[in-house]
Parts: sequence; structure tokens; C-alpha cells
Amino acid sequence: MKELFNVGVGKAASTLSEIIDKKINLDVPDVRIMNMVRGKQELDVFLRQVTEGAAMVSSISFNRQLEGTVSLIFPAEKMHQFIDLCLNEEYSENNSLEFSDVDFDTIKEIGNIILNAIIGELSNTVHIPVEYTLPEVSVLQSARADLLVSDASYHLVLMMYITFNIEGTMIDGAIVINMTLRSLDEILENIDKIYGGE
Amino acid sequence: MIKVLIVDDSKFSQKITASLIGKQLDGVAFEFADDGEEGLEKFKSDHPDYIVTDLLMPKLRGQDLIERIKQVDIDAKVIVLSADVQSKVREVVRQMHVLAFINKPMNEAKAKEIAAIIGNGAA
Repeated sequence: MKELFNVGVGKAASTLSEIIDKKINLDVPDVRIMNMVRGKQELDVFLRQVTEGAAMVSSISFNRQLEGTVSLIFPAEKMHQFIDLCLNEEYSENNSLEFSDVDFDTIKEIGNIILNAIIGELSNTVHIPVEYTLPEVSVLQSARADLLVSDASYHLVLMMYITFNIEGTMIDGAIVINMTLRSLDEILENIDKIYGGE
Repeated sequence: MIKVLIVDDSKFSQKITASLIGKQLDGVAFEFADDGEEGLEKFKSDHPDYIVTDLLMPKLRGQDLIERIKQVDIDAKVIVLSADVQSKVREVVRQMHVLAFINKPMNEAKAKEIAAIIGNGAA
């Protein structure tokens, strides 16, 4: 399972490199698969430590055979820098939590591309197609795990801590996948069928 | 003048797509639509030579837009530009007789690919 997501995150990093047109190093993520209670605790620790409470969250849901939501979480204060890098504009030293429609649109589209890379690669590997809902982006002033993984029908939380090193600019973030147990079973069954349980 | 209609719910993506293709080709006029429904209306009213469309959009999905466009003009020249990397989606969309299926993000190499299609297609 970890390898599956590592492939997707690697693809996402190279995709992001293409967008920003700069060399991006991505720390090999530590994929953790947890139940809801543990997952929420972990996520709360991350939100307190890395985002210091304010987070920008870009998410997309998927359904059909696999069902869940995947979110890309970054500290909101770093997002102006990230957006400037994406738009190839000079960084304006803006750490405010005010974002324009253009900022939201940019993050939504980049989140869409990165999250599609992760879930799409997973879908291709396990031969299970998914359908996406429209991507969403929001700034959570006091981000809590409850706001991100709140649906009781989802039982699993997969967390990947990522650090983007964009030519010396370090941005810590996380990818959180909130998925049903049935989806995990489907994935494992198909891995077994396709790869003989290797 | 070749008319290219870009259908994408992201202004960011519209801007980058038009800018990169525009650098590769002279004599191209771009029009934009923010969702599939608007894309269909503009296709019917403006008769673009080429349509570059996203798939995941509000109101009318890209797949449905292509289907509706092909009902109007079976020979309509459609290029898909989508973040969806699923091979199954690519396979289904390919069967709708699109000229190309290109994955986002847009970059210079992909813009050259689209420009070559448009350039060779002689609208």
C-alpha cells in the first residue's frame, strides 16, 4: 500500500515541477494508514505544529468502486509564496491570510492536478476506475482534524507528510486520504489478483 | 484567423493554455468558456475551428460536452486537456474521436503538440 502511494506522490512531485518549471525535491513520504480516531489525533498534531492553526486545504472527492476524499494541506501563510512560484511571479513577502479569487483558482487547479496524479496513479495500478467530484479549496483559520475528516462513513485515514523543497524554499504539507474500509478491501483484493499478493 | 475555444473552469488554466499555444502559432484567436454548458453555447454560436476542453467541470462534464458537440458536428475538432491520468478515462474519451488527449499541467512541449495538430489541420 505504501509503495502504491509513493508512486502517486512521486508523480505528483514531477507534475508540480512541470507547473512551476523549477527543480523540486520531494522528501520520500512516510505513508501512515490509521483508523479514524488515531488519524484525527495525528492530523491535529500536524495542524498545530506545521500550519499553526491556519491551513489552506485543496480537496477532491472520488466515488464509484473506491470512495473517499483526498486533501492537500499546506500552511496558509506559505501559500502566497507558493502561488507566486506557480504563476512565475516575484515573491512579494506576503504572509497574510487574505486570498483573491485568482489565488483560490490557482490553488484549486494545482491541487486538482496533484491530487489527480495521486488517486489516478492508484486507480491505474489497481485497475479500479474512479469518478471525481469538483475540486474545492478553502482556508481554515482554526484548522482541526474534525473539519477535514468528519464523515462517519469513512473509517480510514491515510496520511503522507510531504516537504517540497523548491529551489531552497521549503514548504511542509500533508496529503490526507479519507477512505472507506470497503475501498481498502477492494484495493487489496485487486492487488492480490493482479500481482499475486506480492 | 483560426478560432480556438478553450473550455475550462479554471481561469489560471485558461490563461496558461492560451498563452503557451499562442506562443507557438500565429493567427490564432482564443475564446473562453468557464464550464461545459457555456462551452456548448459558444460552440454553437461562434463556430470555433478547434475546441480545447477540460473534463472535470461544473454544469456539463467534458465527456458530455464532447458528446453534445459531436451530435451537432460529427467532424468537430476536439482536443482534451485534463488532469485525469486514469487510463480508463483516456480510453473512453479516445473512442469519442477526439484529436488528442493531453494531461495537465500544460507546458511548452504540450503546447507544441497542440500547435502541430492545429497547424496541420488547416481549419
